Amino acid sequence: MKLYCLSGHPTLPCNVLKFKSTTIMLDCGLDTTSVLNFLPLPLVHSPRLSKLPGWISKDGSINLEKRELLDLSTIDVILISNYHCMMALPYITEHTGFTGTVYATEPTLQIGRLLMEELVNFMERVPKAQSATCWKNKEIQRMLPGPLKDAVDVWTWKRCYSMQEVNSALSKVQLVGYSQKVELFGAVQVSPLSSGYSLGSSNWIIQSHHEKVSYVSGSSLLTTHPQPMDQSSLKNSDVLILTGLTQMPTANPDGMLGEFCSNLAMTIRAGGNVLVPCYSSGVIYDLLECLYQFIESANLGTTPFYFISPVANSSLEFSQIFAEWLCHNKQTKVYLPEPPFPHAELIQTNKLKHYPSIHGDFSSEFRQPCVVFTGHPSLRFGDVVHFMELWGKSSLNTVIFTEPDFSYLDALAPYQPLAMKCVYCPIDTRLNFHQVSKLLKEVQPLHVVCPEQYTQPPLTQSHRSDLMLELQPPPMPYRRCSVLNLPFRRRYERVYILPELANSLVPSEVKPGVSVATVSAVLQSKDNKHTLQSVPKAPPVAPSKKRKRVMEEPPVTMAPKPLLSGAVPLEAFLATLQKHGITEVKVEETADGHILHLQAEDTLIQLEEDGTHIVCDNNEPLRATLRDLVLRFLQKL
Amino acid sequence: MDSQCVSTLPRVCGVLLESGSSLPDDTSLEKLLDWFTTIAQTGASLLEACPCLVDFVSKVAFNHASGSSILSFTLKLTGLIGTSEDGFKVLKECSVLKLVFNPHHWQEAGLWGDPCLRIGWIQGLKMILQHSEALSFFAQEDLIEPLLQLQTDSSLFVASAANQTLAQVLLLCQSLSSVGHNCSKNRYLEHNSVSIETTQNYSGIITRVSEYLNKSVVLKEISQLPGCQQILRLLAMLLVQVGPPLRDTLLLAVMNSLEELVTTSCSQLTVPLMDVILAANSGLRDDFVPKQRLIRLLWVMLNMKKPAIVMQAAAAVLHSHHSDPTFSAHSARVLLLPLDIVTGVSLLDENSTEEELRILITEQLKRKSCISMICVCLSNIPQITLMASDHLPCPQRLIVTAVLMLLRLCCVDSSSSSAGCVEVVRFITGNSKVQKCALEALLVLSKSPGVKMVLVDVFKVLTEYLNSPSSDPSVLQKSYQAVIKWVGVCPDLSCITDQLREGFIQAVRKRACDTRWEARDSTVEFLGHLGGAPSCRSFTEQETEPSDVFLGGCSFTVPLLKEALQDPESYVRASSISALAQTLTPSWQEGAALTQEQEDIVTRLQEVLFQDSEGFARRAAVKYFIAWLSACSSPSSCWLLMQSVPTVLSQGVNDLDWEVKLHTLELAELLLDQAFPDPSPSHPYAVMSDQAHRLHIAGQQSDLLSSLKDLVDRGVVSALLCGVVDCDRPVALKACQLLLKLRGVVCPVMGNAADTRVFCQLAEGSVMQQVRKIQAMGKDTYVVSEACSEADKEGICASVDPERVGVCEVLRLLDLDEKLSILTQSSDHIYNSPLSLLQDILTAAAASSQPGRDLHQELVMDCY
Repeated sequence: MKLYCLSGHPTLPCNVLKFKSTTIMLDCGLDTTSVLNFLPLPLVHSPRLSKLPGWISKDGSINLEKRELLDLSTIDVILISNYHCMMALPYITEHTGFTGTVYATEPTLQIGRLLMEELVNFMERVPKAQSATCWKNKEIQRMLPGPLKDAVDVWTWKRCYSMQEVNSALSKVQLVGYSQKVELFGAVQVSPLSSGYSLGSSNWIIQSHHEKVSYVSGSSLLTTHPQPMDQSSLKNSDVLILTGLTQMPTANPDGMLGEFCSNLAMTIRAGGNVLVPCYSSGVIYDLLECLYQFIESANLGTTPFYFISPVANSSLEFSQIFAEWLCHNKQTKVYLPEPPFPHAELIQTNKLKHYPSIHGDFSSEFRQPCVVFTGHPSLRFGDVVHFMELWGKSSLNTVIFTEPDFSYLDALAPYQPLAMKCVYCPIDTRLNFHQVSKLLKEVQPLHVVCPEQYTQPPLTQSHRSDLMLELQPPPMPYRRCSVLNLPFRRRYERVYILPELANSLVPSEVKPGVSVATVSAVLQSKDNKHTLQSVPKAPPVAPSKKRKRVMEEPPVTMAPKPLLSGAVPLEAFLATLQKHGITEVKVEETADGHILHLQAEDTLIQLEEDGTHIVCDNNEPLRATLRDLVLRFLQKL
Repeated sequence: MDSQCVSTLPRVCGVLLESGSSLPDDTSLEKLLDWFTTIAQTGASLLEACPCLVDFVSKVAFNHASGSSILSFTLKLTGLIGTSEDGFKVLKECSVLKLVFNPHHWQEAGLWGDPCLRIGWIQGLKMILQHSEALSFFAQEDLIEPLLQLQTDSSLFVASAANQTLAQVLLLCQSLSSVGHNCSKNRYLEHNSVSIETTQNYSGIITRVSEYLNKSVVLKEISQLPGCQQILRLLAMLLVQVGPPLRDTLLLAVMNSLEELVTTSCSQLTVPLMDVILAANSGLRDDFVPKQRLIRLLWVMLNMKKPAIVMQAAAAVLHSHHSDPTFSAHSARVLLLPLDIVTGVSLLDENSTEEELRILITEQLKRKSCISMICVCLSNIPQITLMASDHLPCPQRLIVTAVLMLLRLCCVDSSSSSAGCVEVVRFITGNSKVQKCALEALLVLSKSPGVKMVLVDVFKVLTEYLNSPSSDPSVLQKSYQAVIKWVGVCPDLSCITDQLREGFIQAVRKRACDTRWEARDSTVEFLGHLGGAPSCRSFTEQETEPSDVFLGGCSFTVPLLKEALQDPESYVRASSISALAQTLTPSWQEGAALTQEQEDIVTRLQEVLFQDSEGFARRAAVKYFIAWLSACSSPSSCWLLMQSVPTVLSQGVNDLDWEVKLHTLELAELLLDQAFPDPSPSHPYAVMSDQAHRLHIAGQQSDLLSSLKDLVDRGVVSALLCGVVDCDRPVALKACQLLLKLRGVVCPVMGNAADTRVFCQLAEGSVMQQVRKIQAMGKDTYVVSEACSEADKEGICASVDPERVGVCEVLRLLDLDEKLSILTQSSDHIYNSPLSLLQDILTAAAASSQPGRDLHQELVMDCY
């Protein structure tokens, strides 16, 4: 069993598991941090950005962190755990010869589609006449400033995919529900479990009859909107692959949510605007719910909230219809019937308005001071670029970062100098180290595999030995491009036995409760299933006048020799020997048993745990007698 | 005692005898006993007052059919009767005493197993043990044996009462023997033979107790632990209470056992053991032989191999204010050790004797239990700071530095690491218990000498805590308290840099918008406290307000507090109102001009008074005006205040919340005091001519008249008249007192002439009704009453408007003195009288004896 690690990013994993002749890709996250090296893509012409000395705003491509470690066309299935971890899907399924199937839950597919659509939309609505590639030459790259100079593998950076590729990739997705068992080629069974992180997010169990691998990715034990995490099904795993822990181990989501609200209220009260760069699904639901409760208490009732994204409407509506994927509280609301999320009420009362973009209706209804939720959190593309340009100059305004995926200082770099206040409240509800160690204590996997980042404290807080995984035995770390031999060997295979064959068996009890029988059968292996069938009887020999040919003779099915079991008790055996006139016996104790030297006969009997040897030269009658004496003590099967 | 009670009591006794255990409300027995106790305490003889009690006691004693609660009551009652020597004699004569206090008697009846009875026995015994007669009885009956058995009774209440009774026995022995020594010449001369006998008794008892203690202070197996703890507690109590010769005897008796017990190093025994050792140590004469042994014991405890025990022992030494400085110095070193190890701030110099303990504690700190150890260390810092500086292992400034370091390590957001123990960080980071303890310690440390150097660090750390998203509301509150405390000790605030101030302002502003109301509340309270903090002097001798230095003054604070007036949580609204009052007080005192902002606030406060659904906010609003009125240098010239007072008074006195009403009356009192300031005491020998006197009276009259008119105009009088008929007793009482004050000032001077009559408008008809009722009750009342004349009657009736009353007339008409005497009695004075209690018992017994009545229903009714 091998694990190929294609991504070094612990929260955007991409691993391939080879297990029992199947090749399974676990997630395909897209690391887009390389966009931070580029200038923002403004929606309207920005004199400031275009006049920056030595900078030309024209490129916007995305890094795809994949190494050709293995042929993507050999992948049989891809298991997706949440919508953030499928953004690289078109790069894998398109133009690679991929012919397999992708498994995901319905919300994962739908919201993943929205996020991809949004990304494509952000890119395509500001088309570029040309794209520069010359800078990627080593000679030129060396002379470039800052982090770009040090970027590695720039040639592997790819342009963003198109809508057509997205649709084609998503057409290969097959929907599954929680705990649904999907059999792959009869060899393994995979099934998704609720992971509690986002709508439809799942962990996966990959098991054969005798082995169980759990894949834990992006799970949460907090009570937010999704169904709670299913922990008990992870028990008794041989290997647990652990990815997607919180990126902010020191930031408590509750504290951050409180921080978000108080900073928001503080800014609005002072007459400023609040900009929240965020993804169009996920934490935003919780933010809106929190604000729904907070609005009244903070006297923010009249402040408009805007949600701007090409998929804003769909995102808000989708969340309301995936009732079965929600936590119990929200599910019960559906039966009342009430919308499960309170943002429906915010929309009804006109407190929350959503627009596909800043163009059109929004520009006529825009009122300040206000709160704007919009993408992309990297501040490099999307409507957020416009608001940064618009509000950056006033110290009354605040930008509050809630997504932990990008370094907020890097994201802000091209907008400096900035008068606007910046607040960093990263909200990451995924498991923290404390929760993980509790979880692992509970489910007790034999081996844990995790990204190497989890095996040491974070660089900035090297004294926090609690911010790492400490397990016994220690977890197996992986990094990008490593290939791990998973530390367990398959020892057993399940074999079925047909009823008629089973009927013909004659078991004999070797010790209480254990019976043994000998089987003669034909082993048939098909679709990774093994069956024992009765040996076909020789067809009745047709009366033939022809001369028999040796070749045609059916194989003579000889009755198998009986098998012996049991042990020869030394004292009793000596007594028997004596009864048969053999008195001069010298017993020698060895590591495995005893050696009996029959001195008169010059014969040796070796009694060992798994065999008995009688060594006597040319005295066949004696040998036979001795053999029979030995056999008296043994059981025949 | 009132005769009705005397006549009812025998019947009650009869009922108690009959009812057995079926008394519906057993608290009545407690009340009955309380009543008897008060009678006995007034010095009267209980038996003379209630002669039927002896009969009752003897009947119960011979009749086992009574329930355990009645038996217990009877035992206690017997003790109460026997408290006096006469009562004791009577009981002895009718041979009740022997029977009642004989445990075998109860054991044979199978009643001794009931803890209720045992506690009755002990308490009864404790009560009679007041005189030598009782002690002789105690000795003759050999009651010491059962009493000792009860020392470790399974019931904690019984055991504790038995402990106290044993102490009582020893104290009595002690006092009687000393009396015997000193006064044998005169008083005990004639009882010489008795005296010798008693002395023998005493020594017998003391020997028995010593033997018992010596035998019980052992811990051979874990099952003995609770008993051992109980005995140690008893021993500590005895050592504190008894005096020298007896004390020495006891100590000598247990010394060996104590030494053995210390070697068991059982952590559950540390605290009681230390109590015993310290109690034994305090006030011990130097020539007392076991002193050295005791000191050695103390050293053993302080040098155990278990850090938890050593820490507890050290804490006990510090708390006991042990006189020997070597011990307290050593204890301080022990207690500071964890702080030293965790923070890496070297508080203690290298000392080889502590090396072993340091290793042990370091090991302990790597476990989860480090939290409690650090908390013990921090919570003893107040004691350490009280020590003389030459006994401290390090300057207090260093302790402050260490506490600050610890606070930094505990803060989730700070990335500071220490030179100390790294493993501990995982446990204490973000632990609010440690954070609170450390902040508490920091509060105390503000008084330390030489802390000016760390001032900036203190404020930096506190700002960090105020800013941290993961700070618990209780931690925030403590941080705010620490800021206030440290601002108070600041000689000048020049060290506060702009950057620090900016960070601080940001934090406070953010907390004012916190999602948790507790955090908002603490913030608002803090703003008030800072506004009220005394100003400090800077180097330039310029006075600076701390709130100016930290927050840029009122221009920052007041808008923030105004915002908080709209808070959805009533506590926050209330706090913001009080904070506004505190913040604005200085400007009121200076008589500064009113701002638009203040006008807005007053408007908002009136809204609160009229509309707020919660009492807290309304109470605070009334208090705001009280603060304003008392701080204002010349209230009459402040138009806004004078304009709002009538509204506040009329609204406040009609509030639903009695505290709001009471505060409103306090406001009225303030106005009353300002209108009629205490007259300067006139010169005792001053001679005033008749004419001058008349002129003086006339002048007084006109002054009073205008003051009274003012009061009426401001609504003070109508508020008082409204309050005096209020259904809430404290409100009515206060109003009544104020009206009496007003009557005292006004009525003697004011005549009845029509031109001096002041009328008052009453919005509510209630007081009018009462006045009319008094009128209707018959003219005789007030014809006879000299206080009111014919003119008064006219004053009330002649007014055209039925809602208008003449002030002086009403004051005279209302029988305020009678009202006051009624109101000063507690509201349950009727229901709590002994007679009512006796009647209750009779009624309850009668009700329960009626067939067909459901007893349970009765009980349920009683509960409600």
